[in-house]
Amino acid sequence: MSAPKFEWNPETAPANPRQGGPDEAQPAHEEKARRIGVYVCHCGGNISDYVDVQAVVDAVKDEPGVVVAKHTVFACSDAGQQEMQEDIEANHLDGLVVASCSPKLHVVTFRGVAKRSGLNPYEYNQANIREQVSWTHTNDPEGATHKAIGVVRGVIGRTRLSDPLEPLEVKTQQRALVIGGGISGLRAAIGLADVGLAVYVVERERELGGWVGKFGPMFPHEREGRDLIASLVQEIRKRPSITVFTGAEIASKAGSFGNYLVGIRVSGSGDSAETITVDVGSIVVATGFDAYQPPEGSFGMGLPGVITLPDFKALVDGTDGPLRFQGKPVRSLAYVYCVGGRGDGGNAHCSRFCCSATAHTSIRVAGLDPKIRQYHLYRDIRTYGSFELLYTESRKSGSVYVKYPDDAPPVVSTDRDGLKVTVRDLLSGDEELEIPVDLVVLVTGAVPRKNDGLVGILKLPIGRDGFFNEIHPKLRPVETVVDGVLIAGASQGPKSSAESVASGLAAVTQSAAVLKKGVAELDPLVATVDPDKCTWCGKCENACPYGAIEKLSLNGREVATIGEATCKGCGGCVPVCPENAIDLRGYTDGQITAMIDGLLEEAMA
Amino acid sequence: MTTYDALVVGSGIAGMESALKLGDMGYKVLLVEKEASVGGRMILLSKVFPTLDCASCISTPKMAASIHHPNVTAMTYAEVDGIERLDGGRFKAKVRQKPRFVDEAACTGCQQCELACTVAVPDQFNYDLVARRAAYIAFPQAVPKKAVIERQGTSPCSYTCPAGIKAHGYVSLIRSGEYEKAFQLVLEATPLVGTLGRACYAPCEGECTRGSLEGSLPIRRLKRFAADTHYASESGPHVEVPPTNGKRVAVVGSGPAGLTAAWQLARRGYAVKIFEAAPVAGGFLRIALPAYRLPAEVVEQDIANVTAIGVEIATNARVTDVETLRKDGYDAVLLATGTPRSTPLGVPGEKLEGVYGGLDFLRAVRLAGTAAAADNPLADRHGKRVVVVGGCNVAMDAARTAVRLGATETTIAYRRGREEMPAHTAEVEDAERDGVRFSFLVAPVEVIGDTAGRVTDLRCRRMALGKPDASGRRRPEPIAGSDFTIPCDAVVAAVGMAAKGAVYGGGVAANENGTLAADKQTLQTNVPWVFAAGDATTGASDITRAVGQGRRAAHMIDRWLNGMPLADFELDSLLEVVDKNKVTSRQSAYARHGIHGGVVEGPAPAAALTFDEIEAPLTEEQARNSAGDCLDCGVCSECQECVKACPSDAIHLDMKEHVEEVEVGAVVVATGYKLFTADAKPEYGFGRYKNVITGTQMDRLLAPTRPFNTVLRPGDGKVPERIAYVMCTGSRDETVGNPLCSRFCCMYSIKQNQLVMGALPLAEVTVHYMDMRAAGKRYDEFYESAKAMGATYVKGRIARITEKPDGNLILRYEDIEHGGSIEEAEYDMVVLAVGVQPNRDAEKLFGIAADGEGPRSPAGAGLEFDEYHYVAEVDEDLSPGKTSIPGVFVAGTASGAKDIADSIVHAGAAVAQVAAHLEAAKKEAVA
Repeated sequence: MSAPKFEWNPETAPANPRQGGPDEAQPAHEEKARRIGVYVCHCGGNISDYVDVQAVVDAVKDEPGVVVAKHTVFACSDAGQQEMQEDIEANHLDGLVVASCSPKLHVVTFRGVAKRSGLNPYEYNQANIREQVSWTHTNDPEGATHKAIGVVRGVIGRTRLSDPLEPLEVKTQQRALVIGGGISGLRAAIGLADVGLAVYVVERERELGGWVGKFGPMFPHEREGRDLIASLVQEIRKRPSITVFTGAEIASKAGSFGNYLVGIRVSGSGDSAETITVDVGSIVVATGFDAYQPPEGSFGMGLPGVITLPDFKALVDGTDGPLRFQGKPVRSLAYVYCVGGRGDGGNAHCSRFCCSATAHTSIRVAGLDPKIRQYHLYRDIRTYGSFELLYTESRKSGSVYVKYPDDAPPVVSTDRDGLKVTVRDLLSGDEELEIPVDLVVLVTGAVPRKNDGLVGILKLPIGRDGFFNEIHPKLRPVETVVDGVLIAGASQGPKSSAESVASGLAAVTQSAAVLKKGVAELDPLVATVDPDKCTWCGKCENACPYGAIEKLSLNGREVATIGEATCKGCGGCVPVCPENAIDLRGYTDGQITAMIDGLLEEAMA
Repeated sequence: MTTYDALVVGSGIAGMESALKLGDMGYKVLLVEKEASVGGRMILLSKVFPTLDCASCISTPKMAASIHHPNVTAMTYAEVDGIERLDGGRFKAKVRQKPRFVDEAACTGCQQCELACTVAVPDQFNYDLVARRAAYIAFPQAVPKKAVIERQGTSPCSYTCPAGIKAHGYVSLIRSGEYEKAFQLVLEATPLVGTLGRACYAPCEGECTRGSLEGSLPIRRLKRFAADTHYASESGPHVEVPPTNGKRVAVVGSGPAGLTAAWQLARRGYAVKIFEAAPVAGGFLRIALPAYRLPAEVVEQDIANVTAIGVEIATNARVTDVETLRKDGYDAVLLATGTPRSTPLGVPGEKLEGVYGGLDFLRAVRLAGTAAAADNPLADRHGKRVVVVGGCNVAMDAARTAVRLGATETTIAYRRGREEMPAHTAEVEDAERDGVRFSFLVAPVEVIGDTAGRVTDLRCRRMALGKPDASGRRRPEPIAGSDFTIPCDAVVAAVGMAAKGAVYGGGVAANENGTLAADKQTLQTNVPWVFAAGDATTGASDITRAVGQGRRAAHMIDRWLNGMPLADFELDSLLEVVDKNKVTSRQSAYARHGIHGGVVEGPAPAAALTFDEIEAPLTEEQARNSAGDCLDCGVCSECQECVKACPSDAIHLDMKEHVEEVEVGAVVVATGYKLFTADAKPEYGFGRYKNVITGTQMDRLLAPTRPFNTVLRPGDGKVPERIAYVMCTGSRDETVGNPLCSRFCCMYSIKQNQLVMGALPLAEVTVHYMDMRAAGKRYDEFYESAKAMGATYVKGRIARITEKPDGNLILRYEDIEHGGSIEEAEYDMVVLAVGVQPNRDAEKLFGIAADGEGPRSPAGAGLEFDEYHYVAEVDEDLSPGKTSIPGVFVAGTASGAKDIADSIVHAGAAVAQVAAHLEAAKKEAVA
């Protein structure tokens, strides 16, 4: 879980009370004899190729509290887990350390091992000797081994001070919110209703349907986008558990996972608007994408006869004979691919669906007018999977494909005779072709939709490409770092219509997996306030990016209180407290100090 | 019938994702996986694009969760045999748990069995780059980490052995250099290892799958090799004497049946005494089989095993009354007295001097020792003419013996033709080679003698073959007036043998033909404590069958003395014999082929005909090479090494498959894909050129559990410096019937380009492509970084690959982007970016087999497939994963090529609909 940024200014930061000497307030349980098991993972060779795992085991096996120390080829494998379980039970371990990968990957796995063998899961701590050691020091095995020893020793120190904790249990609402009334959002709404959840759908526009609602026949099944949306709307009408707000926007969000309070601003007639608050367990964000709009002059944009693919598709959808554009017959046309994608227009990404959409459109155009000449100026044709059939059919129906060099895009210009495209054709010996055409279609890709307001309210993470970011494309593809806030459809990245629907349904699955039980467990690794020390200066409240800290009146004094379900355990409040009244469970000051000491011991050695 | 909410077929990434998400929602899920571990193909990858996460790190937590999730029941090494939609919309599925031959609960995954196993087969989890054992744990991160013994059936050689000897087992032990263990394995069945190594007629060799290729393995001679090696190295018989159990068994007869039974009983702690009427022990082995086939020392060595374990053998001890044995304190008696009587010719003149029964003749020669001995029946007729009547093995033995005794002319007279002779072909050929003449369609009518009562001629009558008789052979019918005489000095009548009949006091019943009446299965006679085995009860057969009978009798006597039922006892729990066609097609499907060691030629004819052993032993090299040719038909050879090695006694080769019927509310088909078989593009040379590998093999070379710990070319282990990728191998290619794009090959190749450049900083990587399809989130960026790292991408399909003598490869291609000229380039190694093909196993799930056979589901219940044989999605636009059957959904690549990320999302989509289906069914049930 990554923490949002908070500002730290050394000038204004409180003095470190521990400066100049050890902290006297070390918890008393340091003296308690611990029984800790330490497992150093090879990760196949990911770690052991660079870190001498035996040396790490030898170095830490006599650390205070360590009763078992081993290395293991794959700690995360079932065999590795079994071994740990057996050791925990046989040796009555009360602490567990696995030195392996980043805890982002496997902390849940190893907490599970602890839990299954009767050890409190929060007595488990992970030492990251892969991302932070072996992978970063591939050229220095000896140094990597030293560092690994330090890291492991530090985590052992932290574990000596660990306390058993119980997860926070929160009741979850049996309701979900879908933001976006495109094909992905609408299908998700139906899916949510069908697994027994009440659903609110919020659509910014007056009409449901998004992009697909505007489309005629789509690839690859030739079904009309408009019909698909109509059938979904019909299904929604059959389900009383779905409430749809059109012309509505998200105004606010409060609460925490499982119990979000979301304000929806619904515009009425004219300028009037009212805000409705709904309480939902999860939020599915399916806000779609924007089509890239080439600036004037780019690939002839602005010249008569140069249009984008969406506009061209609309033209084709509205035609049932040979194509005419602005009253003139279209006897030839050129598609220029990758406009606004793969490096063009500042976008590094490929939009995935444009190749197939264009091939499909060209087949339809040939169907309308078999004599029309169609030129496809492309870089790579990415009709992946069975969409390859579209590419084949397009060529069979007369389309000519011309591959242009990555660094020499086609030039669109006009002269006396009209529009022409100049392009180098790699497929015919790198010859420069000048193709006079009646129409140029710029195959524009998808770009992230501008949605600053929503991003701010939901704290949605944005990836480098500007699309919403999932936690992990394989482990948690529709989840975001904000628990219970899921992303679906092309808001996460360019997708075909069917793929958007699939991800919408995957978000349904994820919602149901956490909401259907009625309760959810949250990590108890949250900040706590010592009310005796707190003087309520409000600094912590300002530092909290999640709005988890509130003022509380306690026995006539004003002190801070932290909402456990809202706190994400980022620790931002801890250092700003001038009274040192806040500590973070699982990362107490004592534990952080112990980790530093462990690391330094090795560094000094 | 156990019920579940959902059945998920296949535990690749889509199957695991489906099962876990359904489990998280609270549904009870049965997850069925055909391999020994969950995880599918993803776990076998090195890293995954575009994040370069380690594939293990992402897979293993899902794999572990699949078997630990409280709502998910995972069955590995199991197959769904058929699913039927019931009235009301639920499903009945048959799930077949294949036997692992390993007790899952007891197995600790210690791998001792793998280390002990003597059979190596290509490791499918390393895409055949290296071998694994028949006893194996799928891969290091396997879940569950439990061993499996791969048995595709009983190997034909072992299956056919009447003695119950694990022929495949000792062959694989010899291949492994474990000669003593090979000997000991045969000893498990019989003490007559050296004997059978020579005198067995080797039905195993007749069944050997290699027989239909280059020729059978010399299985019998391999056994002889093991025996010779053992006896040459051991100073004396070395057997472990078990503690006695206090019970006594008498065995009458010391032939192969009696010796084997005594050995088996003694090994179980019985005090056994053999009573032998002849002056030497061994029965026919010593007194009928000629020494040139079976030297006396060999039989004596074998018999020494029996005496060493404590069996007492009394020779010249004829038993006439079993009651006395009972009175002498024997708890049971086995009669194994064979067929010691020669059948007479039944023609006038049979009493003349110089007429012998076949057995009597052979016995006299063997007991006499040498040809010169005074008591040799032919000693005073040296240089004379001999006629042997009959066409059985005894006739051949008698004739060849006569030749060795100096007969000038030896003729075999047989009343039918050559084809009808019961003697083994090899024996007939050997006789011919020795100079024996054959006279077919000739029957004796009278033996004619001189005044001194000595034989002078054999009068014969010519025969013609009529209609088949009871034996299936055409009956010989005499031709009137065709009599003629063969002048001769001796006639040997080898026309049959018979058992002794009801000669025992104590009332043991006999059949009309003189054999003892015993139950065929239990071998028990009408006297409960008396059993009968071998030729004495079956009539004349052969050594190997007699050994099998002796072994069976011992088990039966043991059971009877322990009060256990005799009926329905399965002595050898054999699997079905493996189909030889499957063996050969499996062999040709292996990506790499072993080199055939060459057929071992038969023995060279001896220079002089003596009684010395004819057949030369195999040299160690011959033995190892020919054992190495074994195709491991059943895969597991039953050599028992794993059973002995397992510290937790977890291995049980008699485990049976188990079919379970379950009722489920919904089904998720997540059966994945098959890889394109690269040898279907012969112009690329895969399978022939050692340094042409597939993309999946390259992934293994790069994986953390990589087989060679580095990237090297398989041909010679050299670290490659120039590596080429050939994209679209088997995809976008009408010539192999696949017009589809396989969707992920571009990306895995780009990933490998980066990993190879990381692993081998000096290596040059060139990719020959049609279109680089980096279509997906962060995919094109990933492609750009591979280019920035130095990989070269050349547009143009590869026409042909040729191999140079040094293993380098020449690629011929059109360089489209640089003027379109035809170019050739040399590389150290070529990686074929193979794509996907549908896994047509899915077609069998709902009763419609790929071949159109098999039971059909009720009308309309069949699962529909698209024209490319992927599971059809009937409403992909709005309900991806929905199939033609309500309640059946498809997840992942079973419906078409997808990368991992798309498969996971697709599974998520399927799960949402499974849940909707189950909720709707619940509502309906309430309503």
